[in-house]
Amino acid sequence: MSPRLSKTLSRFPIHIVLIGMGLLWLTPSVGLLISSIRPPDAVNQTGWWTVLPRLFDTSQYTLRNYQEILGAQGMALAFRNSLLITIPSTIIPIAIAAFAAYAFAWMEFPGRQVLFVIVVGLLVVPLQMTLIPLLRAYNRLGLSGTFVGIWLAHTGYGLPFAVYLLRNFFGSLPRDLFESAYLDGASEFTAFFRLALPLSVPALASLAIFQFLWVWNDLLVALIYLGGTEQVAPLTLKLSSLVNSLGQNWHLLTAAAFISMALPLVVFFSLQRYFVRGILAGSVKG
Amino acid sequence: MSHRKLWVLFSLLITVSLVLAACAQPTPQVVKETVVVTQVVEKPVEVTKVVEKEKTVEVTKVVEKEVPISRGVVTVLGVWGGDELSAFQEAVFPFTEETGIGMAFEGTRDLAAVLTTRVEAGNPPDLAILPNPGQMRELAAAGKLVPIDTFMDMDTLKKNYAQAWLDLASYDGKLYGVFYKVANKSLVWYNPKAFEAAGYQVPTTWDELIALSDQIVADGGTPWCIGLESGAASGWPGTDWIEDIMLRTAGPEVYDKWVNHEIPWTDPAIKRAWELFGQIARNEDYVYGGTTGVLSTFFGDSPAPMFDDPPGCYMHRQASFITGFFPEGVVAGEDYDFFPFPPIDEQWGTPVLGGADLIVMFNDTPEARKLMEYLASPKPQEIWAGKGGFISPNKAVSLDAYKDELTRKIAQAVVSAEVFRFDASDLMPAAVGAGSFWTGVLDYVGGADLDAVLEEIEASAQDAYGQ
Repeated sequence: MSPRLSKTLSRFPIHIVLIGMGLLWLTPSVGLLISSIRPPDAVNQTGWWTVLPRLFDTSQYTLRNYQEILGAQGMALAFRNSLLITIPSTIIPIAIAAFAAYAFAWMEFPGRQVLFVIVVGLLVVPLQMTLIPLLRAYNRLGLSGTFVGIWLAHTGYGLPFAVYLLRNFFGSLPRDLFESAYLDGASEFTAFFRLALPLSVPALASLAIFQFLWVWNDLLVALIYLGGTEQVAPLTLKLSSLVNSLGQNWHLLTAAAFISMALPLVVFFSLQRYFVRGILAGSVKG
Repeated sequence: MSHRKLWVLFSLLITVSLVLAACAQPTPQVVKETVVVTQVVEKPVEVTKVVEKEKTVEVTKVVEKEVPISRGVVTVLGVWGGDELSAFQEAVFPFTEETGIGMAFEGTRDLAAVLTTRVEAGNPPDLAILPNPGQMRELAAAGKLVPIDTFMDMDTLKKNYAQAWLDLASYDGKLYGVFYKVANKSLVWYNPKAFEAAGYQVPTTWDELIALSDQIVADGGTPWCIGLESGAASGWPGTDWIEDIMLRTAGPEVYDKWVNHEIPWTDPAIKRAWELFGQIARNEDYVYGGTTGVLSTFFGDSPAPMFDDPPGCYMHRQASFITGFFPEGVVAGEDYDFFPFPPIDEQWGTPVLGGADLIVMFNDTPEARKLMEYLASPKPQEIWAGKGGFISPNKAVSLDAYKDELTRKIAQAVVSAEVFRFDASDLMPAAVGAGSFWTGVLDYVGGADLDAVLEEIEASAQDAYGQ
């Protein structure tokens, strides 16, 4: 009893600090959530915290912002477009990066280090620099305005980081595992599919979350390569077009943020399971 | 176990993505039909519209056979969104019905960056709606724009648009654009009910304006609401103040010299305009929330206290588009009204300062030409005028088309203005007009020394104008 109590007591300050930091991080999101369910006039006049003293007085809330957004023409189409863009743009780069990272980590071939340094070097190239040349190439190839074009663009933008992250993770797997696999007659493919991939679930899951969020939230790349026409515009473009040219109706964006946040949250929480389990599974068993 | 599940998941995702890929292939062909669907917005009689839709597509194909370059759809890039966008789409709808040519609108508020990229990459939209003539000149100088005087009926244009508008849309003797949506910036908004309750009169001269402001302070109120915050563009509402004052203290000729940097920023005429602005904006008693309030309030939120009871402030100088930011439920003519920004030096009268969006053309296709001609005609402008939030520079647009009396008065002021000048900061090089001028206003209101501020702007102007 007493050792446990003293343990709890000694952890108490840490918990306080952690809870405090958690609250601090949550504050902007809570503010946004409250603003999104307040009438626009109230938002203009008083801060979101003014609802706190009478938090359960439902008369100060309204779902009008949400109704207005979900009722807007073409919302379902925009959602479909976002999925059409995001899912392949997440899977393709991760699949390619996994192969590449395995090769960089475990296969001996000339120029391996140089190639890897080049890939890492690409991390610092800002994507804005590539917009014009790439769009020019797309025009020649007839890829501008197509989904294939934007998948390739996102794949290119996502690859350097994905390769870098996965190579480091693969590289940290115990060498003995691979050596014994090779001794037992495993080919590189078997080693990759049977050993490297299953052991890297946490890395793959976190990478998938990163890439998914980045593509889902992207506005610029879609605007440049796809264009903003209704037929192909993803959710981000559709939502930004709800606001007038000088920012009138900006209050709609508070609700829009939560609507576009919903799917990434689902992805995060469903992948988080693998994430945590993967980390535990990785803790060496001799 | 978990591996197998993961594999199932992974292969499932791959399959899904392949299916999606297959679905996505025919995109280019689909565009045509959907664009027409876009036009259906807010029309309750969907059944009839659907029939028309079919028809339209048919017509499009016929047109395509006749003219090889045609695509049946005109792409338009612009900054409009929300109800502006739906009003514009409605205005174009009769055109689509009549000609079978659809319009695909791409909206982005970051127009300059997107347009530059697309133009450089050789993939410009057919038409673009630019928020000011500055960018038009750059694009025209680079040879990216199609001069429209080659195919437009110039006589009608000259009859419908004041020469000043045509000059602003021209570069090197050729006409490149048509002004479409105007904002009248020389307006002071007030709350008639509050004025009546306190027994205040609408001022007709600058001296009366200052006298009224002093009176309001003496009565324990605050005369002005000013908000300069606007994200990366913070400071621009102040530049409108200074431009409006310049027109009234120095006259249009000096104003033009100022725009073209033929007089330095340290010129006494410019300095005086700043000082008169400072007389109001830097006066802690005059402005709601003091100078801190002026600097930190979002321009769109700043007029809201005017509608409080008792009023937080009594007057707000801002362009006609500010009504879009007014709280919901306030009624034009009852809860708010405007008076023209009063004259200062009698000889210069009451000029009108304004801004406007203009339409330019990148691809010379028969459809783009037709749409351009249609947009320059009164019909689509009258449709939007009926929806509200729109003022046309076109003299042929009937004043009866405007939604309410107030908008009609604003439009009247624009078309009948003896002296009209375009927003100076929009005409100056971006480094000044969208840079040091904005930050200069913020520094000045924040308490910086005026001479130092003007010298700093002058230094940046000398670089920007290439002197």
